[in-house]
Amino acid sequence: MKRFAFFPGCLIPTMHPSMEYAIRQSLPRLGIEIVDLDGASCCPDPIYFKSKDKLSWLAVAARNLSLAEDLGLDVITNCSGCTATLSETVHLLQDEELRKKINRRLARIGRKYKGKTRVRHIATLVRDEAGYDAISESVVRPLEGLKVAIHYGCHLLKPSSIMQVDNPDDPEVLERMVTALGATPVRHRNWYLCCGKACQTEEIPANMMHDLLRTVDAENAEILGMICPTCFSQFDYGQMKISKMFEESFGVPPVYYFQLLAYAQGEPYDKLGFDRQRFKPECLKRFEES
Amino acid sequence: MPSEKDNDDVVRVDFAFRRELAEKVEGNLASFCYQCGACVGDCPATTYSSEFNPREIMLKVLYGLGDELIGGDSILWQCVNCYNCHERCPQEVKPVEVIISLKNMMADRGIYPPAVKKIIHTFETTGRTVPLSDAINRKREKLGLPPLEPVPMDEIEKLFEPLEEEGEE
Ligand code: SF4
Ligand code: SF4
Repeated sequence: MKRFAFFPGCLIPTMHPSMEYAIRQSLPRLGIEIVDLDGASCCPDPIYFKSKDKLSWLAVAARNLSLAEDLGLDVITNCSGCTATLSETVHLLQDEELRKKINRRLARIGRKYKGKTRVRHIATLVRDEAGYDAISESVVRPLEGLKVAIHYGCHLLKPSSIMQVDNPDDPEVLERMVTALGATPVRHRNWYLCCGKACQTEEIPANMMHDLLRTVDAENAEILGMICPTCFSQFDYGQMKISKMFEESFGVPPVYYFQLLAYAQGEPYDKLGFDRQRFKPECLKRFEES
Repeated sequence: MPSEKDNDDVVRVDFAFRRELAEKVEGNLASFCYQCGACVGDCPATTYSSEFNPREIMLKVLYGLGDELIGGDSILWQCVNCYNCHERCPQEVKPVEVIISLKNMMADRGIYPPAVKKIIHTFETTGRTVPLSDAINRKREKLGLPPLEPVPMDEIEKLFEPLEEEGEE
């Protein structure tokens, strides 16, 4: 088993604990051991607190990273926002002067950021440490025929120079991870659009999601394959809003990838919290019977 | 625009504004912008709003037109933080980071959209963007997940203060 410091962030452990449950169930089956990171705070988020004060944002993020350094482990993240904050911090603090500045703040609490830890989103971790074949081998309930519209979101891939995950113009990691479950990934025409969560006006995200959902529908996708809890909420609650606004009926259930993985690995439908979603992926139940 | 040009047609740049921006992390990157517009084509905020254009925002930064960028109903909050501009810019300007630095300047003046202010407050008081509650820990217990502990705020708060000797802020 390879060990990693688990940085669950704010959203998943509080709003979507079944996602965390699925992660804790599925990763050990792929040879990955989760070590809890005591004392961690919000990453802090790359939208709000970063907009207030980038230096304090870096200082808090560096404190979180230093906790993993104490354990001598790399950090794994399950949220694209946390991944963005922590990866960007590692990148920016390669600059010696900035690192000194941040370390002077950390010295107030007896901590130091050394730049020794790597930050890895669990999707890339699974790809790089376990591999697509290991995912396939762990599947006991192949999701044959399930059409999954892939939603990458923004911060898993971009900025590519910092994230170094995949080609942001033509990525494959999620397609291959979905294929490894026996399902069929669908790349709809507007796959590159985002959930719009960070935007503080109504019209931009609404129109963008409307365009996106129309192309998802055109492909007859059964579920939306999600990798970020923020995108997930936007599509779960958001689809109702969009349907009302545009007087059209959208309702493709979003499913977080690691819940889909745990389900394919044999976890019962009822244990994965799908019933709490606005749009429930009941189409998955057909695989339980076989 | 009268603020851009004097009546002798000479551009007057507000360097005080630019210097303040340059103090922010990556706030000085706009200086490398040569106005090619590569950041515009893939910007969803531009696609869905006629007001928003990252190239124009960078131009206003170069001119130092702070009044048109930071204020109560700033267009900067239309940015969806997608990082497409960062991806496309041949000059490594990172327009999105310049925009975030401009938001830092707004915050210094106490200007935030109400929804943003609320989330920042939650983080600054609890160390999380979603505060802990007994209900959350009960839900976690049912799933066999370890309980969430309060964030050591005494430590986090000490990280917020600027360094005096550096003359930050
Ligand atoms: S792509 Fe870069 S250099 Fe070109 S206009 Fe945008 S910010 Fe300026
Ligand atoms: S990050 Fe903001 S400015 Fe840059 S492309 Fe996205 S919406 Fe446009």
